[in-house]
Amino acid sequence: MNGLKKFGSKIRIPALSISVALLVGALFIIFTDIEVLGGLLSDPIGALSLGVGRAATAYSALFRGAFGDPENIGKALASNGDIKLWARALRPIVESVVASVPLIFVGLGVSVAFRTGIFNIGGAGQYTMGAVGGTIAALVFGAGVTPAPIAILLVMIFGVIGGAAWAFIPGYLKARVGASEVITTIMLNFIAGQFVFFLVSNFEFIQKPPRNQPVSKELSQFVDLPGILPIAALRLDISIIIALLTAVAVSWFLFRSTRGFELRAAGLNLAAAKYAGIGAGTSIITAMLISGAISGLGGALVAVGTIKQLSPGIGGSVGFTAIAVALVGGTRPSGVVATALVFGLLQHGGSLMQVETSIPIEMLLFIQALVIAFIAAPELTLGILKNPFRRRPRSVGK
Amino acid sequence: MNKRKPVAAARAKTTTSAPAKRSVSVGDGADAHQQLIASRVRAGLFALFTLLSLAITAGSAGVEGNFAFWVDKVGGTDVAFSVPVVLLWAAVTAGFGAMAALQLVRGASFRWRLAIGLVSPVLVFALLTRLLDGTTANLTVFFTSTLLYTVPVGIGALAGIVSERSGILNISVEGKLLFGAMIGSIASSITGIAIAGPIAGAIFGALVSLFFAWLCIRYRVDQIIAGTVINIGALGVTTFAYLRILQPYSEFNRPIGITPIQIPFLSDIPILGPILFSLSPYFYIAVGFVLFFTYMIYRTRWGLRLRAAGEQPNAAGTVGIDVVKLRYRAMLVAGLLAGFAGSYISLSGTGGFGINTSAGQGFIALAAVIFGAWNPIYAFGAALIFGMTSSATTLLSGLGVLIPPQILLSMPYIVTIIVVAGLIGRVRAPASAGRPYDQG
Repeated sequence: MNGLKKFGSKIRIPALSISVALLVGALFIIFTDIEVLGGLLSDPIGALSLGVGRAATAYSALFRGAFGDPENIGKALASNGDIKLWARALRPIVESVVASVPLIFVGLGVSVAFRTGIFNIGGAGQYTMGAVGGTIAALVFGAGVTPAPIAILLVMIFGVIGGAAWAFIPGYLKARVGASEVITTIMLNFIAGQFVFFLVSNFEFIQKPPRNQPVSKELSQFVDLPGILPIAALRLDISIIIALLTAVAVSWFLFRSTRGFELRAAGLNLAAAKYAGIGAGTSIITAMLISGAISGLGGALVAVGTIKQLSPGIGGSVGFTAIAVALVGGTRPSGVVATALVFGLLQHGGSLMQVETSIPIEMLLFIQALVIAFIAAPELTLGILKNPFRRRPRSVGK
Repeated sequence: MNKRKPVAAARAKTTTSAPAKRSVSVGDGADAHQQLIASRVRAGLFALFTLLSLAITAGSAGVEGNFAFWVDKVGGTDVAFSVPVVLLWAAVTAGFGAMAALQLVRGASFRWRLAIGLVSPVLVFALLTRLLDGTTANLTVFFTSTLLYTVPVGIGALAGIVSERSGILNISVEGKLLFGAMIGSIASSITGIAIAGPIAGAIFGALVSLFFAWLCIRYRVDQIIAGTVINIGALGVTTFAYLRILQPYSEFNRPIGITPIQIPFLSDIPILGPILFSLSPYFYIAVGFVLFFTYMIYRTRWGLRLRAAGEQPNAAGTVGIDVVKLRYRAMLVAGLLAGFAGSYISLSGTGGFGINTSAGQGFIALAAVIFGAWNPIYAFGAALIFGMTSSATTLLSGLGVLIPPQILLSMPYIVTIIVVAGLIGRVRAPASAGRPYDQG
């Protein structure tokens, strides 16, 4: 009972933030509808009910896209084991999990840095460079050059190296000359994108024939990650298992190992940590290396296994969403995994919403921004719950 | 590292308020030593550049750089001329050589920022001729597009400077540019009045900026997280609104463009007229802003208080300055500037607002802030250099010259990292930028 209460208090603010953000998202859907806006003056009630109806349709599509259509699930249950029906019923939820894999990796990576007091917003860049490493490993060692398990291992190692190397730059600069990691990581995100563009449009070895588009060759011809579900049509591969194992490892590292303790100490109070004999520079560099390695591993696995292609936009909004995931998850591995799953559901649900009701999936970015704001200002969130119009008492003595 | 003697530095700045600030040479021993090392590293780098450009000079004998200018107006009569590439590169070599020597002799007091500012236009130009390798390029377009590219980055940098001088680290310039671009386009399309676009963009930028300041000041949200909120939110909201409203109902995205103006008499000057005096009014306003804010920041009471709030807010609060109010006001000004800069993107270009139309220019503006050491004029200079690389990229790819444009496009980001890393001279951010202030 006590444990349940503790759990409840832990997820209260994240759950509240996501719900309020979704509610604001609904308002956003209603008040960006030209027909609703047009009717607002002549027939406010009719217009509003039209808007609410549309928002409800959109969110129902989002729900079906995230978890699956109840109708399809019913058919599958009644069908007595028809593989095709089961595949159709389960595809949305499986795809939601697939969408959450990169978020787990980058969210974990970013969390390690946050815990050390480093605001690594270079998740996207490190993820991208990991994808570069993984792609190169797949092209070199895949397609029978080495046995498949070794090729997969090399893809992972190259991804780790790519991400860690990219994160080393801001880490080293921060530790040695105090350069702000915020600025350097933002810049490195852009450079990573341009670098991929450069790679996939200048090298015959990488670029997809007939070499008129800036994308890499299809990687599925080189390395194929084994799936873990008995239904072949559902593409969930071992990357989710590796992601969960990484989460366990990060959890052990942060909360059970000496090095992890040192990193957290440095994050909580750098001056005190220094006084206790913890090297600030080493902590920063270590944290960035681990952070980049995890993001890079994710980039390699997703590029090779899920997307099966390297393109300049691969980092996309992963970096942004991962920051939201890390903050909502309290930079705690279990929280990160849970939040990543929620955002994965939203992501895949949002794509069905876009297809069915043509409400752009970019709404999710807006929702993420709101969620981050609510999480970062818990006072604001709780204020909304209690009384939005209550003024905070001014501090005494002013 | 960044906290050292902020009061002394602030005082030093107010007494020697010349806009062109020398690297402060007063300081404790360790500081002076570090500056000496930094200046030696710079000297070494300049020497390296000298050798490199010497090698290119030797290699480019006999290559002609062919250029053309439009004499009377864009697309009018043109005049062509050619320069031996060797000559340009010899000039670059001489420049770098002089810089290396002066840096070594003068040590920390050498104004290397200014020197780079003087040499780099020649350098970009020389690189351009080398890469063109005999193809004729029209430079009127090159220079005008440089100046126009500078507008959003330069004004955005100004927004960054004002807010960071007040003590609020502002990575949200990018988001405000996007908002300004969209609202500017919508307002201009609905009202049909050209001037409504920039005004609406600026006002909306100010509102967003106040929301940002409210998060940072009242709720003490980490300023970087708050900036991230604005950036993600801006990308989400503007893309959403574009796909949902502006694309299907394109009458909301047909703004009255702000067209270039011809300054009487001056625009008739051959060659210079079309380049300098027939630009979008935004450019002249930007230059005006830069001069105005340089004056405001370094010469007025408001500027002194602004800098005090950014360096040592507690001291400022003790002498009776309302730091919170001052920061809100500074954010208001920064928002107005950033929104105005954003409106330029959708109103001066073609076809109104598009998805992610600012394309990272807000982050380049941040780079310009740092490169310009939080000084409006230097930051505008940095924006000009970034503008030049960008327009060189456009020119080269337009002429089909085989150089990976990605490398040139990455230059502003790489330069920023080098600058932030202090490899070519440390810049000092306002000491309290990024820290919440407790008004007791």
